[in-house]
Amino acid sequence: MRLRRRDLHALAGAYALDALDDAERDRFERHLRRCQACQNEVRGFAATATALGLAAAAEPPAGLRERVLAAATVTRQLPPVTATPRWRRALGLSRVSTAGTTRTFGMIPKITTGIAAAALAAVVALTVITISTNNSLHAERARSQAIAAVLAAPDAQIVSGPTTAGGVATVVASHRAGQIVFTSSGLRVLPSSQVYELWFLRPGSARPAGLVPVAVRGSTAPVLASGLKAGDSVGVTVEPAGGTSAPTTTPIVVLEVPV
Amino acid sequence: MCAARPEQEPAERADPDLDKLLTHVAKGDQAAFEAVYDRLASSAYGLIRKVLRNPSQAEEVTQEVLLEVWRTASRFDPARGSAASWVLTIAHRRAIDRVRAEEAATAREQRAADVPVPVDEVAESVEATMDAERLRRCLAGLTELQRESITLAYYGGYTYAQVAALLETALGTIKTRIRDGLTRLRDCLGVS
Repeated sequence: MRLRRRDLHALAGAYALDALDDAERDRFERHLRRCQACQNEVRGFAATATALGLAAAAEPPAGLRERVLAAATVTRQLPPVTATPRWRRALGLSRVSTAGTTRTFGMIPKITTGIAAAALAAVVALTVITISTNNSLHAERARSQAIAAVLAAPDAQIVSGPTTAGGVATVVASHRAGQIVFTSSGLRVLPSSQVYELWFLRPGSARPAGLVPVAVRGSTAPVLASGLKAGDSVGVTVEPAGGTSAPTTTPIVVLEVPV
Repeated sequence: MCAARPEQEPAERADPDLDKLLTHVAKGDQAAFEAVYDRLASSAYGLIRKVLRNPSQAEEVTQEVLLEVWRTASRFDPARGSAASWVLTIAHRRAIDRVRAEEAATAREQRAADVPVPVDEVAESVEATMDAERLRRCLAGLTELQRESITLAYYGGYTYAQVAALLETALGTIKTRIRDGLTRLRDCLGVS
């Protein structure tokens, strides 16, 4: 059922409180672009919501500060926007993606928010955690730097999608480097006799691209894989522990890497 | 309760120092980012925890949010709103993203078992600062339905349709009560 214009306008309050479902939010944002009065109203409501938010302040856990600051040191920053639609800038908005749908983002710097950015932040955070907890510091540091290089590659692209084993799989790919970084969260936990294996897939061929480590608190540490070629997709299958040289089961997810 | 005339200073007042810090962060200034962390991390964490309830999830989301602040600092424009507003908008959205993702993933019954944030708790947990005191007074100036709708949506993380179901009130009524309530709250707080 389509909302009439006046009804749409009345959603300004719920919008400012993030209380719309995805479809309504999209529709309201389209309306917002053309509605100066709504923009002004939403801005005032957003400032009001901020007052509510500030009132909820609480001391963050010890250790968070160090983790955030450490993660920032290995996180590339976005360049300033040079041509953002005024209505969006006016509200300081960036796009929130829909959880659970496959989306392709262009160049990494264009990623704004949502699941992809969250996944990327998780990759970076996990990289930092890996650095600080692994014994073979040297090898880990080299690996982490290689991962950071893919994330920061000028042609890096991110693809994310739900898997049939639950959760979300995310690939950051750089064709120039011929490498991908794979990470996931919320995948079904496998018995120790099985493992998730990564593949570079194309019609009639599957090249092994490494094994996915066991998840820690629901997320798997980033896996770096080399040998990406134009036209490859990245797939994940469930295989016997130790992995196989060719997939033996149907992939739980196949992510197309745009050329 | 609240006079139509705003009081002398807006509760969500602009902080030029904080705004300036963020512009330094956009240029990769780590020290400025540390200062921003020290000023806003507790606000972000507190809000996210209020919505998510689960402290370890809240910690995770707070980390994502603060990293996003670092990554996207160049998108902050002080002419369009305060730094605190920008950061808390991101924080609230990420918390809500998490709520919605989990709702999609888990059985709705589980969440239904959660008791919504009692309205009074909101007012009582507010620290005894002047701004908080004013917010408490302004909240008290709303009708009960306006107040409940706003706090359930914002702190409870419910969509307005879910709020309507929780309060057994028509969808259109909740929609307008949220808007009317926010208008009154905005005028009472004197935010721009």
